[in-house]
Amino acid sequence: MGVTAAALEARGVTKRFPGVVANDHVSFDVRRGEVHTLLGENGAGKSTLASILCGLYRPDEGSLWRNGGELRLSSPRAGLANGIAMVHQHFRLVDRFTVAENVVLGRRNLPFVLSAARLEDEVRAVADQFGLPLDPRAIVGELSAGERQRVEIVKALYQGADVLLLDEPTALLAPPEVEKLFVTVRAMVAAGKSIVFVSHKLAEVVDISDRITVMRGGKVTGSVARGEADARRLAELMVGREIHLDRRRARRDVGDVLLSVSQLHLERDGVEVLHDVNFDVRAGEIVGIAGVAGNGQRDIAEVVAGILVPSDGGVTVCGHPTTGSGARGTRRAGLSYVPEDRLGTGLAPSLSIVDNLVLTRDRGFIVDRDTARSDALRYIDELEIKTPGPDTPTRKLSGGNAQKVLLARELVAMSGARVLVVSSPTRGLDVGAVEAVHELLDTARAEGRAILLISEDLEEVLTLADRVLVLYRGRIVHDSPGVDDDVEAIGRAMAGLVA
Amino acid sequence: MIVAGRRIQLEARLVTPKWLAFVVPVVSIVVALVIGAVFLLATGHAPLRAYADLLDNGYTSFYGITDTLGLATPLICTGLAAAFAFRMNLYNIGEEGQLYLGMIGGAWAGIAIAGSLPKVLAIPTVLLAGAAAGALWVAVPAFLRARLGTSEIVSTLLLNYVALNLVNYLIFGSRGFFRDPTTSFPQGRTVEPSVRLGALSFFTDKRTNTYPTLFIAALLAVALYWLIKRSNYGYETAVFADSPSTARYAGMNAMWLQSSVLLVSGAIAGVGGAMYVIGPAGKVDPGLLQIGLGYAGIVVAALARYNFLAVILTAVLFAGLRVGGSALQASSDPVPIAIAVVLQGAVLLLALGGEIFRRNRLRVVKVVTA
Amino acid sequence: MNANVWLLTFSDALSIATTLILASLGAILTERSGVINLGVEGMLLMGAVSGFLVADSTGNLWLALFVAVLVGVVLATVHAALTVSLRSNQIVSGLAMVIFGTGLANFLGKPVEGRPRPVVILDVDFGPLSDIPFIGPVVFGHDIFTYLTWVLAAALSFYLHRTRPGLVLRATGDAPATVDAQGVSVTRIRYVHTIAGGALMCFAGAWFMFARGVAWNQAATTNGIGWIALALVVFASWRPLRAIIGAVLFGFSLQVPFTLQSQQIRILPPEIVAMFPYLVTLAVLVVLSTPRARRLLGAPKMLGQPFVRDER
Repeated sequence: MGVTAAALEARGVTKRFPGVVANDHVSFDVRRGEVHTLLGENGAGKSTLASILCGLYRPDEGSLWRNGGELRLSSPRAGLANGIAMVHQHFRLVDRFTVAENVVLGRRNLPFVLSAARLEDEVRAVADQFGLPLDPRAIVGELSAGERQRVEIVKALYQGADVLLLDEPTALLAPPEVEKLFVTVRAMVAAGKSIVFVSHKLAEVVDISDRITVMRGGKVTGSVARGEADARRLAELMVGREIHLDRRRARRDVGDVLLSVSQLHLERDGVEVLHDVNFDVRAGEIVGIAGVAGNGQRDIAEVVAGILVPSDGGVTVCGHPTTGSGARGTRRAGLSYVPEDRLGTGLAPSLSIVDNLVLTRDRGFIVDRDTARSDALRYIDELEIKTPGPDTPTRKLSGGNAQKVLLARELVAMSGARVLVVSSPTRGLDVGAVEAVHELLDTARAEGRAILLISEDLEEVLTLADRVLVLYRGRIVHDSPGVDDDVEAIGRAMAGLVA
Repeated sequence: MIVAGRRIQLEARLVTPKWLAFVVPVVSIVVALVIGAVFLLATGHAPLRAYADLLDNGYTSFYGITDTLGLATPLICTGLAAAFAFRMNLYNIGEEGQLYLGMIGGAWAGIAIAGSLPKVLAIPTVLLAGAAAGALWVAVPAFLRARLGTSEIVSTLLLNYVALNLVNYLIFGSRGFFRDPTTSFPQGRTVEPSVRLGALSFFTDKRTNTYPTLFIAALLAVALYWLIKRSNYGYETAVFADSPSTARYAGMNAMWLQSSVLLVSGAIAGVGGAMYVIGPAGKVDPGLLQIGLGYAGIVVAALARYNFLAVILTAVLFAGLRVGGSALQASSDPVPIAIAVVLQGAVLLLALGGEIFRRNRLRVVKVVTA
Repeated sequence: MNANVWLLTFSDALSIATTLILASLGAILTERSGVINLGVEGMLLMGAVSGFLVADSTGNLWLALFVAVLVGVVLATVHAALTVSLRSNQIVSGLAMVIFGTGLANFLGKPVEGRPRPVVILDVDFGPLSDIPFIGPVVFGHDIFTYLTWVLAAALSFYLHRTRPGLVLRATGDAPATVDAQGVSVTRIRYVHTIAGGALMCFAGAWFMFARGVAWNQAATTNGIGWIALALVVFASWRPLRAIIGAVLFGFSLQVPFTLQSQQIRILPPEIVAMFPYLVTLAVLVVLSTPRARRLLGAPKMLGQPFVRDER
C-alpha cells in the first residue's frame, strides 16, 4: 500500500492555556474520503485540537500538514483558503437572511451585483450534489436545528472546503435529524471529502466513523479503526482508569426522601430536552448526576429549583409539591440551589458580598443589610474567603472565593434548606478550593441534608456521591443501586451506550 | 488602526481610582468651555468676559441663582425620571410628553377637585394627579414593550409629539375645560388658589422665580435615593440592571420590574409638570413647551451617571447655563443664548468619551504582524 | 373643495418629503450597520446653518451644499468614535449630538437671523409638461434634488438588497459576530455607514434651507422633522423604498393642517390632525412586533449594541 499523504494532519501539537495544557504532543490525521471521530469528554482537548486544525488557534509546538505539505494557519480565513472549514456547535447564521444569502455571505469574490436567482441556483447545485435537501429561498430563522446545520455545512462546501470539522454535530439534533446528517456525511465522504467529528456521543458516531481517536486530559489515549471498535474499551479510554475501580462506600444511614422527581419532561422550541426523569434523594445522601456537558444538566437543575416549569411531571421538596411554585416558592419549601455559573447567575457581579448574601433570602420591604453584613464578616472568617472586605463587588473575587460566597449563602446560611442542588461546584477551581468545597458538602451530608450533585467531572461525582445517575440526551440512562459502582458501565452510559 | 507598527488599545482597569469619578466630569466641563471659547472667538466675542457674565447671571447674582433654581425644579424631576429608567437600560425618551401630561393632570386636579379638599391635601393631590398622568402616558409604551417587545425608544418619542399637540389643542384648539373662561385670549384656566405656592423671597422684598416646589423636587431625589439604596424594590432593580440572569435565578419577575420602572419614571416626570402648575404657571401653559426640559433631563441624568443625588447638582448646573445664557443674549455684547446649549452638549459628549477612561486604560501596544 | 388646492398640497407634501426621505435614508444606512444615531435633528440644523452661512458669504450654492455635507461627516465621525470605538451608550451620545448640534446651529445662525436665504434652489423647468392637469404640478413641479432623492432611494434599495456590500451591511446589523468571523471589519463598516448617514442628514438640512425655508429662523426651520425621520425608519422597516411612501404620507399629514386652515375647513381640529402621523407610526410599530414580522421587517437585531469580539 503506497503512503498517501493525509488530507490534514497534526504532528506533535501542543497548546497551552493559563493553568492547563489543552493539547499535549497530540498527533492526529484524517484521510480523503474518511470520517475520523475525535472522542472524549469535555475538557479532553478535542475542541482545542479541532480549533487548531481549522486555524482558529495557533499551536505552541508541533506542526500542521496538508496533502504532504506543511501548513501555517494564521486565522480561520486562512484555513478556509486551504479548504478547511469548521462547523461550530452554535451556528453563526443571520436569521433574517435566506439560506442562499447565508451560504454566500462568506465568499470573498462575490460579484458586486448579486443576482438572487443565480445565487440560489449555485447553492442548490452544491446542496444537491451532496444530497442535502435545502430550499435556498427559505428564511433561516424559521428552520429547525437540523436544517440550520445543513445550511452551515453547505456554507462550508460552497466555499470549497475539502476537510470539514464538525463540533458536536449531533448535540442539538433530534434522532431523526441525526440520521439525515449521516446520509449527508456519507455523500460527502463518497465525493472524497474528509470529515472530522468532534464528539462525546460514542453511541451515535460509532457506526459512521472509519476511525475513532480517543482523547483524555489533553493526550491521545487510543485509536481504533472501524471493525476494531470495542465499545467497552472506548468508553474506558474516554473515561479513564485512574479512578479507583474498587470503590466501596461505607453504608450510610439515610433518612426520608426529601427530594422527589417524577416523570419529568421538558420541551423547548419543540424539542424534548428532558425525558421521563425520575429519582429520589434522601436525607443524609448525595446523589450524583454524571454526564458530559450539554445533555440537559442545566435543565434538570433549573426544573428542580423551580426556575423552569416542566412540560410534564412534578417535583416534591420535603413533602411539598413545588412544581410551578417558582424559584422563591421552591426555596421556601426547603431547597437551595448553587448554579454552575457563579458570577453570571449565582451572584450579581457588580454588587457587594453583603448585597449578594441577601439575594435568595426573604427580604421584606426594607432590605436588612446589617444582619447580612455581620454574616458576611463571619463567613469571610470561617471559610477563609480572601477579599478586601464585605463591600467588595463579587466580580473582583477569584473563582474559588466567589464560590465560597455562593456556598456560604446557599449552604451555611440556609440552615432551613434540607435539600441542596449543586451544579459543577468545583469547575475552574484550584486544588485547595476544591477540597474546601468537598468538605462543605460532606459536612452538609452529615447534617442530614439531601444533596443533588450535578457535575461534568466524573471523578468528583464518584468521590462524593453515594448513588450515581448518568444523564444522556435528557434521560437518566444509568442508576447505580448504591454501594458498588461499575465505572465501566457509567462510562458507557455517558457515551450513550446503553444495554 | 495600526500606525507605525503600534496600536492603541483599551485595557480594562482592575481598580478604578476614586478620583477619576470627579476628574472626568470636571475635565469635561473645562474642555467644553475651551471649545465654547473657540466658537465665541470665531464669531467675534470675548470668551472670558462672556463666561464671567455667564457665571454671574447664572450662578452668582441674586436673580441669577433664583432663576436658576426655578428652572432647575422641573429639570430635577425629568432628570430623576430619566435616571430611574436609564439605569435599568430602559430608554424612556418620553419625559417631555410625560411632563406635559403631568401639567395637564395636575391642572385638572387643581381645577376640578382641589376646591372640595382641605388645603393640606390639595397640593399633594395635584402632585399625585400629575404623577398618575405621567405614568399613564408611558403605560402604552411600557405595555408594548412587555407584551410585544417593541422598543420603547421610538414609542415614547412619538408620544412626545402627541402630547405636544394635545397641549396646543387644549389651549389653542378648543374652548374646553382647560381654557380660561374669562377671556377669549387663548390661555389656560387657573387652578384653585389653594394649590398655588408663592414664590420664595429669601428674606428680601424681591420677586423671584424660585418656588417651594424646589424643595419638593430635592426631597423627591432624596426619597428615590433612599428607595434604591434601602428598599427591596431598589435592590431588585439593582440586581436586574446588573445581571438579568441572576435576577431570574433569584426568582425575580423581569416583566414586572421593567414595566414598573417605566411607570415610575413617567410618574416622576409627571410630578415635574404638576410642580410647574403649583409654582410658576398655575394653569396649563404651552410656554413650558419651549424649553425642552424633557430631553435636557436625559442629559442631566447621564452626566450625573444616574445617581439621584448628583442629579440635583447637574440639574442646577445646566439650569444655570441656560439662565446665564439667556442673560448673555440681552447683554451689551449680545452672545446668542445658544452658547449655553452648545456647552451642555459639549459637556455631555466629552463626559461620554471620558467615561471610557474611567473603566479602561490606554496602552500603546506593539503589533507584530505574522 | 378646490381640486387644485389639494394637488398643490400634495405637491408641497412631496417637497417636504424630500427632507424626510434624505434624513431617514441616512438613518437607515446607519442603523443597518447596527448603530443608532438619534442626533438627526441636530444634524439637520447644522447642515442648514452651515449651508446658509457659506451661501451668505460666497453666494455659491454648490459650495454651500458641499460644506454642509462636510459638517455632517465631521459630526457623524464624532458619534461613530464615541459609540463604535469607545463603546459609549449610543442613545445618550445621539441625544447629546442633538443638543450640541441644535445649540451650535442657533449660535452660529444668530447673526443672520431673519435674513432671507441667499440662494434658492429652483424647480426644474419642464416647460409645457408641468401644465398637464393633475400630473403636471405633482410630478413635474420639483427641483433637481427632489428627483435625485427618489433616484437615491432606489439606488440605496438596490445597494442594500442586491449588492455584495449591501449584504454584508445587513449582516453586520444582525450578526456582527458572523461578519467578524469572516475576517471583515465590523468597525470599518459601522464607521463608513454612520458617516455616510450623517452626510445625508446634513445635506437634508441644507436642502431644506434652500428649497423650502424662507429665512434663517431656527424654530421654523426644521421643527422636529429630525425626530419624525427616525420614526419614519421604523415605519419603513429599514427599507429605503418604503421610506418614500412613509415620507409622502408624513409630508402630506404635515401639510394638510395648513391647507385645511387656508381653506377654512374644520373637520377635526388641526392639532388633532397633527397627531395622526405619530399615532399611525405607533400602530405600525405594534404590527411589526409579531415574531415573524420582527424577524423579517424589524430592526437590525444588534441595533444599539456595541460589538465586542471575544478575544481568543
